[in-house]
Amino acid sequence: MDNEFFDLAKHALDYGLNLGAEEIEIYAVKGFSRTVQLEKTAISRFSETSGSGIGVRIFKNKAVGMSSTTIFTKENIEKTVKNAFSLSKISQPDPKFQSLPSDDRPIPDIDDLYDEAVENLSVEEFTDLMLQSVEEGKIEKDVIIGGNYGLGKLERIILNSQGIERWCKSTSISGYLSVKIEKEEDIGVAYYYDSSNTLKQFDYIKIGKEAGIRAKKMLGAKKIETKTLPIFLDPESTYGTLSSIVSQGVNAFNVINKTSFFIDKIGDKIATEKLTIIDDPFYPGGINSAKFDDEGVVPKEKTVLVKDGILQTYVTDSYTAPLVGLENTGHASRGTFSSRPVPSVYALQIKEGETSKDSLLEELKEGIFLLGSSIHPSGDSPTISSQINQGFYVKDGEIVHPVKNAVIGGNIYELLNSITYFSKETENRKGHIAPWMLIENLKVSGGK
Amino acid sequence: MIMLDKLSTIINKVELSSKDFLDIRYAQSESETFSVRNGRFDTISNRTSGGIAIRALVDNAWGFTTTVSLETEDILKSVKKAISMARIASKYAKEERRISDKWVFEGKGATEIKIDPRELDKELKLEKIKIIEKSAREFSDNIAQASSTYQEMHKIEYIVNNKGTNVENEYHVIRLMKDVVARRGEKMQSVFDSIGGTGGWELLESWDPEEEGRKSAEQAEKLLDTRSPPSGKMNVIMDESLVGVFIHEAFGHAAEADGVFAKNSVLEGKIGEKIGVEGISVYDDPTIPKLRGSFVFDSEGTKSEKRTIVEKGVLKEYFQTLETATMMEMKPNGAGRAQDFNSIPIPRMANTYVDSGDLSLEEIAEMTKEGVYLKNSYGGYVHPTKGQFYFTCQYGYIIENGEIGELFGNVGMSGMTLEVLNNAYGISKNWKPAFLGTCGKGGQWVPVTGGGPNIGVSNLVVGGK
Repeated sequence: MDNEFFDLAKHALDYGLNLGAEEIEIYAVKGFSRTVQLEKTAISRFSETSGSGIGVRIFKNKAVGMSSTTIFTKENIEKTVKNAFSLSKISQPDPKFQSLPSDDRPIPDIDDLYDEAVENLSVEEFTDLMLQSVEEGKIEKDVIIGGNYGLGKLERIILNSQGIERWCKSTSISGYLSVKIEKEEDIGVAYYYDSSNTLKQFDYIKIGKEAGIRAKKMLGAKKIETKTLPIFLDPESTYGTLSSIVSQGVNAFNVINKTSFFIDKIGDKIATEKLTIIDDPFYPGGINSAKFDDEGVVPKEKTVLVKDGILQTYVTDSYTAPLVGLENTGHASRGTFSSRPVPSVYALQIKEGETSKDSLLEELKEGIFLLGSSIHPSGDSPTISSQINQGFYVKDGEIVHPVKNAVIGGNIYELLNSITYFSKETENRKGHIAPWMLIENLKVSGGK
Repeated sequence: MIMLDKLSTIINKVELSSKDFLDIRYAQSESETFSVRNGRFDTISNRTSGGIAIRALVDNAWGFTTTVSLETEDILKSVKKAISMARIASKYAKEERRISDKWVFEGKGATEIKIDPRELDKELKLEKIKIIEKSAREFSDNIAQASSTYQEMHKIEYIVNNKGTNVENEYHVIRLMKDVVARRGEKMQSVFDSIGGTGGWELLESWDPEEEGRKSAEQAEKLLDTRSPPSGKMNVIMDESLVGVFIHEAFGHAAEADGVFAKNSVLEGKIGEKIGVEGISVYDDPTIPKLRGSFVFDSEGTKSEKRTIVEKGVLKEYFQTLETATMMEMKPNGAGRAQDFNSIPIPRMANTYVDSGDLSLEEIAEMTKEGVYLKNSYGGYVHPTKGQFYFTCQYGYIIENGEIGELFGNVGMSGMTLEVLNNAYGISKNWKPAFLGTCGKGGQWVPVTGGGPNIGVSNLVVGGK
C-alpha cells in the first residue's frame, strides 16, 4: 500500500469532520497506465500516464456536497474538502438519505485480481506480446493493423465516518487490434478486444488472430432488403444485448427514478422462461470482480437477477436500498473518482440451453447472425433501433454474406419474450458467461 | 506567466536533435456540476484537475508521459522518461514521423466571458435548475423523471515546444440541460435539450426556466401517444440539429487526419475529388464566438482557424495536427485537441456545419413526396474505416404526398459516408448551429457543436418497427 497516499486520504477525512461534516466519505484511487500504440502495423507511441484522484462526499443536515481533485498537495486536499463542505451547506436536504454505509465484515479473498507480473512487465516485453499478436493478424498480404495494448495498476481506498476503511489493489492488461483488408473497392475490417487482471490469463495472441479472421469474413458486405427476420447472436452479442437491458432494468437508482424497464416487476415474468441470469462479484480473475463496492460494502456472493424468466431482485447501494425496500446488495459503482455512486451489476452469467449452437444455425432458414454486435435499447427508452455493426445474412443454415447499412428495430419487452433458444455451449470471458442465442422475428431495416 | 517561464526553462535544458520534437503542456481545469432529479439533488460537486503532459517525438516514434507534480525536478524526470520511451519505441518504428519546424505559435488566447459564473452566488445557479426540474415534474402524472443539470468549466493551458511555440490559452464553457422522461406503462419517451457555449452566465439568459421545463414535459407526454416509427430505406428530411450530428458522424470523423494517415478512413486519397452534390459545402469553425466547440489555440498551441472540409461537393481539407500536417505535406489547422493533461492531442472537430441553400422546408417536403421529417438529435457514432454511420433522433413526422403529417417517437438511422452527400436533394436557406454535444474519440471527450440548414437525403435506412 502507498502509505503516504493513504495518510493523505485519512487526513482529508479528519479534516472534514473537524470542519463540521456530519458524515464524510473519501474515495481515492492511485494508479498508472502504460500503453503501446500501433498504427499502420508499426509501433508509433509508448505512453505512461497517471490515473489518480481523490473524491470527497460530505453530508450536513442530510444535504450532500461533493468535490474532487487530481492535485495532491496537502493544501489542495484541504481546499477540496472545504469545497465539498461549503457545497453541502447550500445543497438541499434529502429526507430520503439515511446514512453512509457501515460494514465491518472482512473483505473476501479473490484470486487473480492483482498480478505482480503485470505491474513489472517492461515496455519491451509488453511490446513483444503485442507484436506476436500482430503477426497472427496478418491473415493476408498488405493488411493494415492498428490498435493498442495497455496495462495498469490501481489502488482503491475508501474511508468514511461510519468506520469503513477499505483498501485493495488490482492490475489490468488489455489489447485491442483492428485489421483491415482491402481488395479493390471492397473493404473487410474488424477488431477484437480482450482484457484480464493477470498475465497468465491474457490471451494476447487471440486478439490479432481473431481480428484477422473476422476482417476476412467481413469482405463482400451487401445491403439487404427490409424484412422481419430471426436473429442469431454469438456469446459476445448475447452478453452485450442482455446485459445492456437487464443492468438498466435491475438498477435501483433507475427504479426510484421511475425509468427502470422493470418497475414493480419483482416476481413477474419479464422474459422467456429459458432466461436465467446470475451476477457474480467474486469470480476469480473476473475483469469486473471486486472485493467491495465503491462505497466499501462487501457485496453478496452471488445474486440471481432473473430465474426462469422471472425477475428476482434489484441491485442496490446504500442510498437506494431503503427506497426500494431491499437490503444493500453492495453494488455501488462510480464512473470516476469524482462521480456519485449508483448501483451497477458486476459480471453476468447467462444460463445455457440444451441445443447445440451448430444445429441452431443449421436450422435457420433465413436470418441474421450477429458476431460481437449487440442490440441495444436507446438510452433509457425501451425502444430498440440498433445498427448492425458486424452481422451476416444467413440462408438455409449457411452464412451467405456480411450485411451493411442495416438497423434492427423493436423494443426490449418483445425482445426478451422472443428469445427461443440458448445454446448448450457458452463462452466465458473472465467471468462474463454467455451462450449463443436465437431471437425470433425482429424487424431488420435494410438499405437495398 | 510563471508557469510558461518554468516550462520554457525546462525545455531549454533538454538536448535534442533539431529534427526531433518535444512539447510540455500544463493543463488545469476547474468545473462545477449541479444536477437535480425528481426533486432531489443528484450531484452538487466541483472538480479541479491539473497536471503536466510531455510528448517527445524522437527518431520516428513518440513517448508520452504525464505527471501531477509541478516541481521542476519531477517535470524534468518525466521529460527524460518520455524521451527514453520514444527512443525505445523508435526501435520498432517502420516509417518516418516528424514535425516540421515551419509552424511556431506565440501568444495568449481566451474565449470571451461577460458574466463570470465564478463570481455569482451558487444559489442562483441552483435556482435555475430547480425551477426547470419542478416545472417539468409537475406538468403531469405521466412525467416519470425530470432532471436538469448546470455545468461550468474553466480551463487554462500553457504549451511550449522545442520549435519555439509558447502559448497560453484560456477557455470557459457553460451549459444548462434539461432531460424529461414521460412514461405510461411500458411506453417511455424522453426529450433532451440544452443551451450554452464558450462564455459565461450571459449564454443561459435566453431560457425562461419555468417555460423550458413545461415545454419539454409537454413534448415528452405528447410522444407517448404517437405511432411507432417506420422502417426501411426512405427519403429523410433532417432538421438543423440532426444535420449537425449527421455531418459530424457521417463525414467529419472520416476527415480527421489521424485516421486518414493510418489508412482507417474512406476519405483517404480523396482530396480534390467530388464526393457530394454541388450544393453541399461543409465547414468547421472554432473561431465563431460563443459556440460550444470554439477555442483560440488548440492543445498543441496551433492557432485555430476555419476549415473548409467540402466546397461545392469537393473534398478540400482534413482536420490536422502538427504531425499529420507534416506527414501529409499540408498545413496544420488547429484541430489538435486534448481532453485534459492526461490525454494526447488528436485531430478533432469543433463547430461543424453544412452551408445553407435556397429552399424552404415546405419546398423540400414537396420534393420528398413520401418519407420522414426527423427532429432533435440525441447523438450517433461512425466506423470511419467502413464508412458506415449511425445517428438517432428524438422524434419525427411522416411525410405523405409532400406534406408533413403524423408524429412518431425516437428512432435510429444508418447510412454510408460515401453515398450520403451524393444523395442530398434539397437544402434549405435557414441555418442554425443547433446541436450542442460532447464528442468521444479514443476515450477523450471534448465539447462540439453541429448544425446547418434542413436537408433532404434519399436512401437513408430508418430503423423503426
